[in-house]
Amino acid sequence: MMASLPFRQQEFQEEQMTQTYLTDVVRNAVGTECSRTVSYPIEASAIRRWALAVYWPEPAPQVFMDAEYAPEDFDPFAWGPASYESLLEGDDGSVVVRHGINERALGFPEWKFRAGLNGGMNCTYGVRMHVGDVITDVKSVGEYTERQGRNGLMLITQSISTWTNQQGELVKRTVNAGIRY
Amino acid sequence: MRIGDELTPFTRRTDLENFNRYAAVNDEFLAHSMDDEAARDEGFPQAFGMGNLQWSYLHSFLRQSVGPDGRILQLDVQFRNPNLRGQTLIAKGKVIAIDDGVAQIELWTESADGSRLAIGSARVVAHS
Repeated sequence: MMASLPFRQQEFQEEQMTQTYLTDVVRNAVGTECSRTVSYPIEASAIRRWALAVYWPEPAPQVFMDAEYAPEDFDPFAWGPASYESLLEGDDGSVVVRHGINERALGFPEWKFRAGLNGGMNCTYGVRMHVGDVITDVKSVGEYTERQGRNGLMLITQSISTWTNQQGELVKRTVNAGIRY
Repeated sequence: MRIGDELTPFTRRTDLENFNRYAAVNDEFLAHSMDDEAARDEGFPQAFGMGNLQWSYLHSFLRQSVGPDGRILQLDVQFRNPNLRGQTLIAKGKVIAIDDGVAQIELWTESADGSRLAIGSARVVAHS
């Protein structure tokens, strides 16, 4: 039996118990391909800068200073893509979403959150990225779940990102988990 | 690599100098990684580093052991606690299985007091 709570606290608790993020629109979107993004050709200087930043204050491995290939964690989309195309009906693609997916274009509720955190990543790698490669990223909607946490009801989302190179070879497939509350 | 081997740890003292360098190459200027007050507004004691930076540290950690011609085939990581600025982050791991030349690694990052910041696993092929 629930102990008696001060009015506002009880109201808050009831609000938290009845609220859900997982509307039909959200549930039905799982698996939808949302966007196709194409990178500029990878530059040697971008590989060097990435490695210098990540390895600092130690020196970066020579293989990256020579830019023989890019580190697996290198992001060729970091400072903007060469092109971005929304795959969603009725979306003109004017809002570029780099991380995650365009929830507004999918018709999701306009949630308000206090915080958004990176929950984790699961990545399977294919071929390496090299100087001159042009990478295409296709993003799709993964699972959406919710859970009660100490900060209230948390929304846990997955976006799936599949990168291929100009030969159509798989570079990597990443499932990104986001946590919002 | 052999089953039971512990990989050479990868250590970084993580502070705004690290976060800012990473933000500069990844265009990831998050307020909660730059500003203690912004992090406190989100319920954290102080600014903390990007999950993507820890993700990169774990790749750097694995590369130490697989060598430049080795391959990281898969990495799976869950972030459990924030990597607060000023912490010393240590990436550690050990080989738990080997199958057809592919090593399965259990890995994690921890702070100097031993608290786990991230946990996960990897599959790698070491350069022989």
